Amino acid sequence: MDFKVLRGTLKKELLTKYRAYPMDFFIGNVLTGFYTILGAYMMYKLLFERNMNSSFANLTGTSDYLSYVLVGSLTYLFLVRTCLNVSRSLITELREGTLESLMLAPFRRVEYFLGNMLVQTLTTTMEVMISVLVAIPFGISFQYIHIGSFLLAIVVALYSFFGISMVLGCVMLFTRDTYISQNTLFAFVFLVCGITFPSEYLPAWLRTIADFIPITGVVTLIRNSVLLGKGISEQSTIWINTLLISTVYVLIGFILMQKCEEVALEKIHS
Amino acid sequence: MIIAEHLAKNFQVKVGKGIFREKKSIEAVKDISLQIEKGKIVGLLGINGAGKTTTIKMLTTLLAPSAGTYFMDDMDAVKYPMEIKKRINMIAGGERMIYWRLTAYENLWYYGQIYNVPNSILKQRIEELLALVGLEGKQNIPVETFSKGMKQRLQIARGLINDPEYLFLDEPTIGLDAVVSKELRSHIKFLAQEKNKGILLTSHYMREIEELCDYIYILNDGCLIKQGTARELAADTFNRRNYILKLYEQSDDILARLDHNLRQYDPTTEVSGDGDCISINSSENISLELSRLCTQEGLFIREMYEKEPELEDTIIKLSKEVSA
Ligand SMILES: Nc1ncnc2c1ncn2[C@@H]1O[C@H](COP(=O)(O)OP(=O)(O)O)[C@@H](O)[C@H]1O
Ligand SMILES: [Mg+2]
Repeated sequence: MDFKVLRGTLKKELLTKYRAYPMDFFIGNVLTGFYTILGAYMMYKLLFERNMNSSFANLTGTSDYLSYVLVGSLTYLFLVRTCLNVSRSLITELREGTLESLMLAPFRRVEYFLGNMLVQTLTTTMEVMISVLVAIPFGISFQYIHIGSFLLAIVVALYSFFGISMVLGCVMLFTRDTYISQNTLFAFVFLVCGITFPSEYLPAWLRTIADFIPITGVVTLIRNSVLLGKGISEQSTIWINTLLISTVYVLIGFILMQKCEEVALEKIHS
Repeated sequence: MIIAEHLAKNFQVKVGKGIFREKKSIEAVKDISLQIEKGKIVGLLGINGAGKTTTIKMLTTLLAPSAGTYFMDDMDAVKYPMEIKKRINMIAGGERMIYWRLTAYENLWYYGQIYNVPNSILKQRIEELLALVGLEGKQNIPVETFSKGMKQRLQIARGLINDPEYLFLDEPTIGLDAVVSKELRSHIKFLAQEKNKGILLTSHYMREIEELCDYIYILNDGCLIKQGTARELAADTFNRRNYILKLYEQSDDILARLDHNLRQYDPTTEVSGDGDCISINSSENISLELSRLCTQEGLFIREMYEKEPELEDTIIKLSKEVSA
């Protein structure tokens, strides 16, 4: 495989998105990082700083709530960005009138979506790195980080983001809606997947749902490796569960996508 | 060679508003059989809504047919769409199908990537195509600044990026000015004659189809109502003459007398009343006979002229013949 479609799509996306306004893009990155951190900090100050109880420390293994919420927010930022790009890729082609010319070509969908994903991964990594710099003065601490475990967590995170994006992309292409579907998903993930507080605080039925969204596992893995310094073997069940659930999303995404492409093409009518 | 038989396409649509929407099936294409040979231009002629675009989309694998068979050089095209895609391409009228934020060169490069054109030949092919459509100097300018004609020309280059064996053109000259349309028509001829591509062209311009196509299918309401070589159709379909005659008085009796007398010159002549006009359709130039006849019958002519035949009229006439 020479990954022509992947590399081509990567280049196309970079050119269409960032060539025209590189400066706006850079400033946008810095600002997103800044706002994410500020949001997390305010949530900490307003809601949790004085109400911190011992159950939080028991559940999470740390009493450093600020770092807890910062890591959660950055993971969430990464998910949102990935979904925005990968999920919307085909519906954007539809809106810009290139879906048919694209679908005329005999190309591999996996590479197309991965190309879209990679663009976003590159740019969001920049955003997150800037955010981390911003977060240091607020008191995020990396003294316990387990690097190997962290890197693996990132890989698993990207895989699960990809799966979720594919499923969301199907919904978008099928309903031709990008607003309601996306914001419902984001709000839901934000509330139930342990982004700003442990999902153990939720009613049991919500927690069951949260268990079937791989983000819950992803954010736990990242926190464990960054804040608690847990190694790879110590959390093998979470790794395996998260990978399995993500795989289910990836598979459902690809199977449904073929059907959704057909439906989208049937609905094109000038 | 492409052989499609009894193709049909139904669309399921929802009608009405709110939650109480009913499902309805629209038969966009009911029964179409056609053949496309390499090196030949085949025309699909029909008014708006006849089913031309739907037919092209089935032939280009964008839509799965609801019924019928479709073979390309003996390969089942419905079963193996990925194989078919490698060997075809499609160009539609209008400004879609290219990325406006990319330059002309980048557009062709990207399509080259997804068609898996080897990079060793892609660069040269892009340059040749840009030269073919006259965009050599403009290759590094974003497409959004292009004029309609330039966008259309880039689309043609895109449609040729995989060097397809068969090319489908859906109303390619729509919205183009006369000069650009003419250029485009000569490109199309060149592609069939010099490059041996099999071409299917749809249009609602009779003259365009007549000028370009070796074989013509006329489509109405999802069905073929007539087909033949350009020469065959020219004689009995395209080259008929239409006259509009307005008299100071008009009656069925007058119509009948005109009809009877004109048929003496040309037995295929048809006379019909249409409000306060009389419309006369004939295979020959009968203007002299017509005016002489009016004088002879003592009919005062208020207005009389020859009208360029319109597709709508031709279609109405043909569908009457088919159902008769
Ligand atoms: N995607 C679609 N959904 C529903 N109806 C459609 C769709 N595409 C075309 N039609 C209908 O099918 C008929 C044929 O359309 P089309 O193939 O676009 O005709 P043409 O290209 O000859 O103008 C029309 O009545 C049109 O409204
Ligand atoms: Mg059409």
